[in-house]
Amino acid sequence: MSIPRIFATLGFFFVLFIVQESVVSLIHFPIAGFSLYLAIAIALIALEDNNGAIVMGFLGGIVLDLSPTSNAPFGQWALILTIVGYMVAANKESIADLTLSPLTFVLFVAFAVSVALLAYLAFGTLLGEGNGSFRRDIVIVCANALWTIIFTPIFLPALRNFRRASLTSRER
Amino acid sequence: MARGSNNRSRLLLVILLVTALFFITLDLRGVSLTKGSRSVTQSTLAPVQRTVSDIFSPVGRFFSNIKNFGKTKAELDQVEIANAQLKSALTLDQNAKGELAQLKGVLDLAGRGSYKVVAARVIGRGSAATFSQTITLDQGSSSGIRADMSVISANGLVGLVKTVTSSTSIVQLISDPNFKVGVRIARSQSIGILQGQGTNTYSLQLLDPAGTILVGDSLLTNGSDNNHPFVPGVPVGQVTWVDHTTSTLTQSGDVKSYANLNDLGVVSVILSAPSAAPSTPLLPTPAPIVTVYITAPPAPVATGVAVPGTPSASPAAKSLPTPTPTRTK
Repeated sequence: MSIPRIFATLGFFFVLFIVQESVVSLIHFPIAGFSLYLAIAIALIALEDNNGAIVMGFLGGIVLDLSPTSNAPFGQWALILTIVGYMVAANKESIADLTLSPLTFVLFVAFAVSVALLAYLAFGTLLGEGNGSFRRDIVIVCANALWTIIFTPIFLPALRNFRRASLTSRER
Repeated sequence: MARGSNNRSRLLLVILLVTALFFITLDLRGVSLTKGSRSVTQSTLAPVQRTVSDIFSPVGRFFSNIKNFGKTKAELDQVEIANAQLKSALTLDQNAKGELAQLKGVLDLAGRGSYKVVAARVIGRGSAATFSQTITLDQGSSSGIRADMSVISANGLVGLVKTVTSSTSIVQLISDPNFKVGVRIARSQSIGILQGQGTNTYSLQLLDPAGTILVGDSLLTNGSDNNHPFVPGVPVGQVTWVDHTTSTLTQSGDVKSYANLNDLGVVSVILSAPSAAPSTPLLPTPAPIVTVYITAPPAPVATGVAVPGTPSASPAAKSLPTPTPTRTK
C-alpha cells in the first residue's frame, strides 16, 4: 500500500466517520442501529490483498477510536479491526471468489461486522467496560448484521469504483 | 515467493497489533495525548453535526413516521405533552404524601421550576464506535456547562454530562449500562440505586432491607452533595415490575423512564439548584422511642390486704398498656 493511498484512505475513513456520527446515528433504525462505517470499512478490507487488508483495518480502527463518545481505550478498535482485517484476508479466498458472487460478498461482510462487534464486546469485558445485558448486545449485533445485508448492495458498486480510482497504476 | 509474502503479512500484523496495544496501554495509563485527540475530534465534529442536524432531523424520524402513517402527528404530540404534565403532577402528589406520612419537612418538588438551566439541542446520538448510550448537545463550557451536571427533559431525568468542549457536550444517558443514580421512592421515601441496562427499562435495587417496591411507584433523584452531579427531586421513572424472590436482602425491580430517550430534541442542563431544593435524605433514621402511657388510678376498693411491692398489689401497674414504639421527628 503506497503512502499517498494510506493518506487517501485515512481521509476517506474520516469523512465516513463524520457521516456516521452526524447523519446515520440520528436515524432511529427499528430493532437497533446500523454502523455504515463498519460495513464500508470491512467491505473495503475484503476487497484488498493481505497487506492492504491489515493496514486498512488498522487505519479504520484508528479513526473509529477517535470517537468522542467512546468509553473504550484509544486503540481498541485499531486492535480489533487489524485482527479482523487479517482474518478476512486469510479466509476470503477459501470461501468463494467474492468478486464474482455479490451475495456471498455481502453475507461475508455482514458476518465480519458481527465478528468485529462481538470481539469489541469481548475485549471490552476483559478490560472491565460495562456493555449492558448480553441479550441486548446480541440484538444489536444481529440488527447490525441485518442492516448490513440490506444496505451493502446499495453502496457496493460505488465502493468498487472508488477503490479502482484510488489505486495507482502499479497497484492495478 | 508466496511464503515470503505471508511472512511479510505476519510481520506487518505483529507491528500493527503491538502499536494498537501501545495506544491502549497509553490510554489506560491516563496519557492525555489520546484524550486530547478525542477532544479535537469532538470540536471538529460539532459544527458538522449542528448543520447536519438542522438538515437531516426529519430523516431521523423516517421509520417512526412510516409506523405512524395515517395518524395525526400534531394530535399525538398534544396528547404526549398532556400525559407528561399529568405524570409530573402525580409524581409531585405522591412525593408530598410520602413526606407528610413520615412527618418530614415540606419540601415541595414544584420548586423544580426554579432550577437554573441552560437549554440545548440534541445534535448527535450514540456512535458507531461504542455500545454506550450518549447524546451530543450543541452547548458547552461557554454556556456554563461543566462535567457531571444533570440533564433533564420535559418529563424527567435524561442523563449526566460526561465531557464538555467549548461548544458541545456529551451526555451519558440513564439507559447506559454504566449509569447509576441514587433514587428514592416518592411513596415511601425508601432509597435505592437505579442502573441503566442499555434498554428502555432500568434496574432498581433498594438499599433498605425493610423497604418495599410496588408496581407504579414513582422514583425521584435522591440528590448529591452540593447538588453535583445530581440535584434532588427530579422525576426519574416508574416501577413496572417487582422481583418478589427472597434470594436477596433488599427488593429490586424494573423501572421505565419518564423521559422518552428515543425522541429527544431539546433538553436542559441544570447549572445550579436553588438552596431551597430538598436536601439529600441520606440521614440515619432516628432510633424508635418507647412511650409509656399511664392511665389514671382507679378508686381504691378495700377488699383485702395488699402486700406492698408485689405487682398484683399495684393498680397502676395493671393499667400499663403495651409500650408502643413511635418515631419522632
